[in-house]
Amino acid sequence: MHLAAQILLNGILLGGLYGLMALGMGLVWGVLNIVNLAHGAFIMLGGYAVYYCYAGLGIDPFAALPIAMVGLFCLGYLVQRFVLSLIARAALLSTLLVTFGIDVVLTYLALFAFSADFRTINPSYAGDHFDLGGLTVPLAQLGAFATALVLAGGLRMFLARTRTGRAIRATAQNLTAARLHGINPRRIYPLSFGIGTALAGAAGGLYGVVSQVTPYMGNTLTAKSFVIAILGGLDRPLGVIAGGVALGIAEATTDIYLDPTYRNAIGFGMLVGILVLRPTRLFERA
Amino acid sequence: MSTPGSAPGSEGEQRPASAPLFEVRALTKRFRGLVAVSQVSFSVAPGQILGLIGPNGAGKTTLVSLISGTLAPTLGEIHFEGRRIDHLPAYRRAHLGIGRTFQVMKPFPGLSVLDNVAVGALFGIAGGERERSRARDRARQCLELTGLDHRQDQRADALGGPDRKRLELAKALAMQPKLLLLDEVMAGLNAVEIDEVVALIKKIRDRGMTILVIEHVMKAIRTLSDRLLVLHHGQQIALGAPDEVLRDPQVVEAYLGKRRT
Amino acid sequence: MTTGRWLVISCVAALAAVPLLGSATMVQYGISALSIAALAQAWNILGGYTGYASFGNSVFYGLGAYGTAIAMVDGHQSFGVGLGCGVALAVACAWLFGGPILRLRGPYFAIATLGLSGAMSAVVSNLGFAGKNVGLILPLYRGDELFYELSLALLVLCTLAVAWIARSRFGAGLVAIRENEDAALVMGVNTPRYKALALMLAAGFSAVAGGIHAYWSTFIDPASAFDSTLNVKMVIMTVFGGPGTVLGPIVGAFSLSAISELLASQLSTMASAFYGLVIVLAVVFMPGGLMELGRGFRRGGRHYFLDNMRRFRL
Repeated sequence: MHLAAQILLNGILLGGLYGLMALGMGLVWGVLNIVNLAHGAFIMLGGYAVYYCYAGLGIDPFAALPIAMVGLFCLGYLVQRFVLSLIARAALLSTLLVTFGIDVVLTYLALFAFSADFRTINPSYAGDHFDLGGLTVPLAQLGAFATALVLAGGLRMFLARTRTGRAIRATAQNLTAARLHGINPRRIYPLSFGIGTALAGAAGGLYGVVSQVTPYMGNTLTAKSFVIAILGGLDRPLGVIAGGVALGIAEATTDIYLDPTYRNAIGFGMLVGILVLRPTRLFERA
Repeated sequence: MSTPGSAPGSEGEQRPASAPLFEVRALTKRFRGLVAVSQVSFSVAPGQILGLIGPNGAGKTTLVSLISGTLAPTLGEIHFEGRRIDHLPAYRRAHLGIGRTFQVMKPFPGLSVLDNVAVGALFGIAGGERERSRARDRARQCLELTGLDHRQDQRADALGGPDRKRLELAKALAMQPKLLLLDEVMAGLNAVEIDEVVALIKKIRDRGMTILVIEHVMKAIRTLSDRLLVLHHGQQIALGAPDEVLRDPQVVEAYLGKRRT
Repeated sequence: MTTGRWLVISCVAALAAVPLLGSATMVQYGISALSIAALAQAWNILGGYTGYASFGNSVFYGLGAYGTAIAMVDGHQSFGVGLGCGVALAVACAWLFGGPILRLRGPYFAIATLGLSGAMSAVVSNLGFAGKNVGLILPLYRGDELFYELSLALLVLCTLAVAWIARSRFGAGLVAIRENEDAALVMGVNTPRYKALALMLAAGFSAVAGGIHAYWSTFIDPASAFDSTLNVKMVIMTVFGGPGTVLGPIVGAFSLSAISELLASQLSTMASAFYGLVIVLAVVFMPGGLMELGRGFRRGGRHYFLDNMRRFRL
């Protein structure tokens, strides 16, 4: 019973971070109809940005998050504006291939610049935890979870309350109608993509605190973000966080009750299962 | 006075009573709370042209989709040549001899016009032709019939509006169907083109095909149809000879609204 | 015989002669290049002709590798029987999972195949008789020439199959599915069966490639057998060469292999980054691949590239 509760807690905390990772991918998918295979690479770059802020400049990782987010926003904006916009109306396979190419470029540039060593972001409170009714609550993971919720909530409010946010949602729902209302997709698309990469960057920074950063970390994270984005309903921020939590709990449970090597099998199994059994929600997006 | 759900062959029929080519009984389609088609029943004898009319959103295309197999019915039965087909997938119905055009056209964009039509010949009635060359020959005949043979090597997505309609028709004809379902093939055509299509449909019927036509062009559908079926909000409100049906007050009301007295 | 056929036969003969005339490194390079070309061609059946772009064909490659390895190691069978087992395993998997997965469209299908590949890899890494994560060691066979000729034979066979598909009624059905599946269905194409057949064909050929790889490398483990980098390679090579054409995958695979070798020898670490750049540029400026480039360039010169960019941009 106690063990089950701890597993649940671990899963939830990890899941929140997973949800944050997927937030950006879901937004980009929902608004631009781009499945960004380079998403993991942006997460990775965010991790490195925070790492160097911390290791090089001594800035606390959580404080460095905004810096990383701004940097990743600019990068994403430029990538969409000058590369992805060129194939905006091509078949979906083209966007998959181009984002794959971008992923390769970013990964190997990172490999070249940062080497393949695993880096951990180790602030003084990294190992701390406190007890809550017999359960161990790791501080760093809790902070990551809280940040994920804050950002998701922020995104939701941005999309619902601000003019730009509503313009983004309008573009996602009906491009022609949005254009007729004076919304310019040439502004909205890079903006949305930039927000997506900024969120990825934040997730990367947090990931570096609770785990490690390496140039290759992107690929599995892209795959996980797929699963979660689909589970959560693409551009519904809180739904995506919930999806992340679901995956987090599933992984934590498999770790203890089965075997950590089954982690990927469970994740992928869930993915295939969801796709096959619940197509209606997805096709509303199509 | 025409009444819905009449027995087959009893309304304005000039032919001797023969077994209906196809028959629909109490056909109903519900979409999560919206009833698109409700308790529609009628039958069509071989060689007849049945016109299907009704205001926009009446369920006409849905009915055609139910017959062609694109949609599965919620309730009811469809019989074709004496056998029940409502559980058969669309491709099986094509092999049995049901062909249709789509209101929102569905060409094969990257293929040539000839290859577009050849698909119908390759997979149509009884599974279609086995050899591509024979299929292409049949496709050419259909293109000649619909007036598209001078464009046979062009890409389908390079065609303009009226030509796209012709292509849609040619594709269905290449299947050599026994029952042809036409969904608004005259939309967007000018008067001359409409007359051409009407003549073409009559020619096809004279070759033995049974045709169900959805149309909004009243003049055309009046001259073409042996009988008219009127749908309104998914329900069948009239079935019978065109002149009678078009005078039916329920039908008039459906199109023009209630008469203020 | 037409000049085209003579050309093809001479090319095949020339390729077959490489082990006799070329160096050992050339043979090794050849095996990899031929193998990936065969994978690309197999992918072409489902992705190029049918329009179902799978990002997880490595699952069939891996099942072929493991089927062969398990038959040879645990079952003490010959290579031939092993290959048969590998193919049977892959085709069975395609038949089993194909139904539900092929009902998905576009990106969802791609992701589902990715998921299938990942899940299968994870499952295999937990099976004792498959060597778990440690892997399996196959009997040693000295003589790269055999594997070279086998890979060449596979590529030729697969290409002949694609050539047949391109001319056959089956192929017309596949293309119809790609161009407009709803229309194809209503015109009488048995889309579920055709898609499943395309998947099983792709699975079978991919499995043979996997089996050859297993015996050649003498060692497989989940990571190398279900090599996920292969997935994108085979897609990119086919798209680069020309999807839905007979020679496209071969042209794409050989040219991209050559490009990456060239880059690796000239630029070493940055090579991969440039490779990614090549992919991006190719998709933006020549989306129909090299096969279409030939036609398009003859018609419009350099405007071909600009037109492509203009056609698809925002």
